[in-house]
Amino acid sequence: MPIHDQGYRRYEGSKARGRAWFVIFSTSVRSMMGSRRWIVLMIASWIQFIVRAVQFYIAANFSQASVVAPTAATFRDFFDKQDLFVFLVTISLGAAAIAEDRRANALQIYLSKPLTRLEYIFGKLSVLMAFLLFITWVPAMLLLVVEIAFTGSFSFLTSNLHLIPAITLFALIEVLMVSMCILALSSLSTNSRFVGILFTALIFFSDALYGVMRAVTGGTSVSWIAFGNNLAQVGDAIFRVPLRYETPWFVSLAVVLALIGVSAVILERRIRGVEIVA
Amino acid sequence: MSGAPVVAAEHLSKWYGQVIGLNDVTLTVPPGITGLLGPNGAGKSTFMKLMTGQLKPSKGGITVLGQPIWDNPKAYFHIGFCPEQDKFYERMTGREWVTALVGLNGVTETAAREMASRALETVGLSDVGDKKIAAYSKGMRQRVKLAQALAHDPELLILDEPLSGMDPLVRRKTIRLIKDWARAGKSIIVSSHILHEIESMTSNILLINQGRILAEGNVHQIRDLIDEHPHMVFIRADRTRELARQFLADDDVLSLKFEDGGLAIQTGRPDKFYARLTELAASGEWGAIHEVTSPDDNLQAVFQYLVKS
Amino acid sequence: METPRVIPSALRVFEFSLGQMLWSRRSVFLALLVGAPIAMALGIRIIAAAHGLPVINGAGLTGPTLFGILMWLLFVRFIVPVLGVFYGTSLIADEVDDKTITYLFTRPVPRSAVLLGKYFSYLACVVLLVLPSVIVVYFLIVPIGGSIGQSFPQLAADLGMLVVGLASYGAVFSWVGARLKRPLIVGLVFAFGWESTVLLIPGYLKRLSVAYYLQALVPHAMPQDSSISSLLSAFQELPAVWVSLVCLTGITVVGLWLAGRTVEKREYVLEQ
Repeated sequence: MPIHDQGYRRYEGSKARGRAWFVIFSTSVRSMMGSRRWIVLMIASWIQFIVRAVQFYIAANFSQASVVAPTAATFRDFFDKQDLFVFLVTISLGAAAIAEDRRANALQIYLSKPLTRLEYIFGKLSVLMAFLLFITWVPAMLLLVVEIAFTGSFSFLTSNLHLIPAITLFALIEVLMVSMCILALSSLSTNSRFVGILFTALIFFSDALYGVMRAVTGGTSVSWIAFGNNLAQVGDAIFRVPLRYETPWFVSLAVVLALIGVSAVILERRIRGVEIVA
Repeated sequence: MSGAPVVAAEHLSKWYGQVIGLNDVTLTVPPGITGLLGPNGAGKSTFMKLMTGQLKPSKGGITVLGQPIWDNPKAYFHIGFCPEQDKFYERMTGREWVTALVGLNGVTETAAREMASRALETVGLSDVGDKKIAAYSKGMRQRVKLAQALAHDPELLILDEPLSGMDPLVRRKTIRLIKDWARAGKSIIVSSHILHEIESMTSNILLINQGRILAEGNVHQIRDLIDEHPHMVFIRADRTRELARQFLADDDVLSLKFEDGGLAIQTGRPDKFYARLTELAASGEWGAIHEVTSPDDNLQAVFQYLVKS
Repeated sequence: METPRVIPSALRVFEFSLGQMLWSRRSVFLALLVGAPIAMALGIRIIAAAHGLPVINGAGLTGPTLFGILMWLLFVRFIVPVLGVFYGTSLIADEVDDKTITYLFTRPVPRSAVLLGKYFSYLACVVLLVLPSVIVVYFLIVPIGGSIGQSFPQLAADLGMLVVGLASYGAVFSWVGARLKRPLIVGLVFAFGWESTVLLIPGYLKRLSVAYYLQALVPHAMPQDSSISSLLSAFQELPAVWVSLVCLTGITVVGLWLAGRTVEKREYVLEQ
């Protein structure tokens, strides 16, 4: 018919499926990148990269500075030193990720759209993982590139080929573990400050408990009590550097995987469209 | 109601960084019920917050019941505030919450409980007073907010969107309550963007838009003052067309339209028009006149005109 | 009507807030936090009964020594600052986030009294939970190779130290919470970054921390559990106990005064 109805018309075009998570991802990224404080934190997180790059430059160009030449342990140490920024980024971004949605009753709205719970969780997880990989995996890989660029040869890389999968694997494990943990904690509360404290307690209190047990037992075989120690132990195993604790690496890995598993279960139970009030 | 103004603002301005919330407002609010009207973002909430001492004026001053309100906790003995936000201490029951807030006024626990019970009864929540607020419906939450505002029997009630979320029956009851409180001697300032609600409570209004006061006073007087705006009159009569021919001859009639089974006339001089209409009706030559209304003489029309201009 | 006075108003707010604070979800977290040392102490007691405590570097570990280690590692270095950050930064910030601050600020109660009342309820809440936890741990651990009677003065000193520490940290973070929009990160950086780092720096800078004065009140030797602890012991210069008490009292009073002033002067614009 030549004159079209100007009222509401159903959309009859094609719809993309399974990409709803990307809407959450892109909206969150845009929102974070609009914050000056966030940009400052991101820039500050790259300070170690700059320091290391200078270190590699000096080692490559001054033979007297060969003592600071990079080794596999340097890259392992890079991840250790980034822990502070991983902690700050995780708390800044992750604590409010689900807590604020719960506070604003936005979960009902989200889940009333053609968005599954899995897509919602994946959307939130992807934001966290993206930013955390940006401050861990990306600078670590760039350091490899920088090393090759400054020395003008691939010899370091060829003699440490395991670094590429090691950096990737450890970055993924670390980022996945902290992201899942903070999201699980975020889903337990409507107060992002409370979530931040819970996350801090998870790390620091477990570390304090380990300190006590270490004093009691006189050894480090109980390092698995502290969650941060498990990640460190797994990292040492992946990078093939001497393990820092007496705990077998597979026990630490089991704890890490258990944490991820428990977080997944918590998320599955907490991400619901309706909350029953007694 | 005559008496000292309950609120007096003198060159009151408030800005948030670069954004001006309230722009050089000077006014007085008389005793009785006053409606504070404006669209979203007009500055109603800013003015409410300045009146209740939650914000400090950037310039100028504001007094409530004759006293400055900012940093003056003593003033709150006489003020009851019902905020717009739907936020509570959810784990408390309605009774516990109202009792605890009244207790902050310095009354004994027994007195606080009695005052809370009375307030809950007034708003119709006695039977659910011992339920947790988290389990309340939207309307009940709104009523418990009203209860905490009036429990300590203040002279001035400041109500920010008090009817929001209420069903029509409860809305009517609440409007009746507000009028009862005014009759009992309280002054009430009610803010809303729903015009007919305010109209049903009071004819004394404050119209605000873009941080400025557009008009204040009796809505009918304001209407009369809007000289340039033509006055609409709707007439339903037996012989509408013949009546229309009579009015066409008058030079103050600006337009005529036949609609809804009657005649809608726009006139630039309502006094002259009504006098002519009375003459025509009294003569009986053009049949019976069944209805004469002025769709213009209401808040909606005044508001729309002022906000658009 | 006379102007409401700060202390009586604060006591009214204290009554209002205490119940909420004690029975809130965050107190579950608090209970877990103080329950963990008890669980740990129980575990150690069972192990000690079965196998005895280890000998480390030729020296046998006794109950009183272990109790000192627990006090340092769990309570002084973690529980006290975390509770200060957790509750202190939330006193006003939580009410603002929950948009319930309006109800408190439109009552005939000075704003500083609102803060003070909430601070008192925080202190009551944490003292009611932390001190019994320490006492239980004491009775579980100290009898292992030690004497309850002999170590009792140390317990009394520990309890006093904890109250003073909780009060001081709470006051400092009350001000942080009242002053800043996002106080948690600043609070955590201060509690776990500044407080430990500044003690390593020789000079007067360490006097700008609560930990410097608090550690003088701890009646146990600092454990050498890490290189940082060894460094801390090496650089440790302790003020006299009376100096610490005076300074911590001063920090508490100044912190609360600053927090009260901030709350009085600040406008809290609730997000719509």
